[in-house]
Amino acid sequence: MIKVETKSFIPIYEQIKNEIKNRISQGIFKANEPLPSIRELATQLIINPNTVARAYRELEQEGFIYTRKGKGCYVSDNSSSLVKEESTKILNQVFDRTIEEAIKLNLDPEEIKKLFEQRVDQAAGSEGKRRKK
Amino acid sequence: MSEVLRIENLSKRFGRKSVLKDLSLSIEKGKVYGLLGKNGEGKTTLIRVIMGVIPADQGELFYKSQKIKFNETSYKKEIGYIPEESIFFSWMTIKELLNFNASFFPTWNAKKADDYLKRFSLEKRTRIRNLSRGMKLKLGLMVALASEPEFLILDDPTSGLDVPTRQDFLKGVIEEILEGGTTILFSTHLVHELEGIIDHISILHQGRLILDKDFEEVKGSVKRVRLTFDKNIPERLELEGILTERKNGSHRELVVYPWNEEKGDRLKALRPASMEVESLTLEEIFISFVS
Repeated sequence: MIKVETKSFIPIYEQIKNEIKNRISQGIFKANEPLPSIRELATQLIINPNTVARAYRELEQEGFIYTRKGKGCYVSDNSSSLVKEESTKILNQVFDRTIEEAIKLNLDPEEIKKLFEQRVDQAAGSEGKRRKK
Repeated sequence: MSEVLRIENLSKRFGRKSVLKDLSLSIEKGKVYGLLGKNGEGKTTLIRVIMGVIPADQGELFYKSQKIKFNETSYKKEIGYIPEESIFFSWMTIKELLNFNASFFPTWNAKKADDYLKRFSLEKRTRIRNLSRGMKLKLGLMVALASEPEFLILDDPTSGLDVPTRQDFLKGVIEEILEGGTTILFSTHLVHELEGIIDHISILHQGRLILDKDFEEVKGSVKRVRLTFDKNIPERLELEGILTERKNGSHRELVVYPWNEEKGDRLKALRPASMEVESLTLEEIFISFVS
């Protein structure tokens, strides 16, 4: 079920967009399947239908979903690759910022790579443990 | 956009206390307006003047471009009004109340009233005096919506209600928006509830509207800026639109409206060690404006 947090600084329409993109990337919303209607989402989340409409409009402009006249919104064919592309972009920005910090702290590229690998191994380890449970 | 209500230069005082000061406001059809203010800032007074419960000392009121005189009643047939406290006769049963109200409103929708009775689990034979506050408010919403209003005015209706009752109430309001065309003026001090609901934000503070703007626009341009300096800590930050400022050693935390790139560049020119810019919640925006 799609959720929004009214005590968040992220605008509600952005939250709806993110929730839908997450579900596309997790495979919960599949290509050419219908999204909840604006009416359903507005009453379920207790938000203005205009806010839902705005989220859907922007998702459509960005190519994640498409509209069938009189039927509502559906997930686009290439939506999951678009989501992946977008998350890679965001991740790269985070990496860039971190690397910038590391350079400020006088680390050389080899050291940065080593530290990064350590973190990845550690995260994979704890993730593995969590999955086993 | 057509205008439902216009208020021009409204003033109201009670004895020596000036409650509304030269206030002007325009309400457009089909939009949801959040009227926000702390307790005692004049929200209820403003709504009572709009509803003709009390006269204004000065100023004019227009409903759909028609000037409204005090004691005029015709325009009220198109307005659904839910006051802070129930104004129903406590000796009536719900059935009697519905018949009583139906006689005032030419647009009364009895089916809608019945549907809502079922949804809110209200019995027609119950006397109003035996209802809880939450039940009375739901009844108020039902009565207001059954008159098929073009304009719905809610005066802090959800204060003092538990969360599930508030959610039921707000759901009814959302459904009304879905039916289309209804203009809503929603006054509250439980600000966060309006986060996803309002199109427009009006903040009433000390008798004046200190903010009256499209909400998305405001949400996008109020920013919190956190600055840390290692050297050359500025004594004062010269910048227009600082709503609040907090100092702590070499840290500065500002809330700025409207924020823009040019202001960002000017702060960067002070060479802070770090500068972070973030958005705020509706509640934080409200607090920044009234503190």
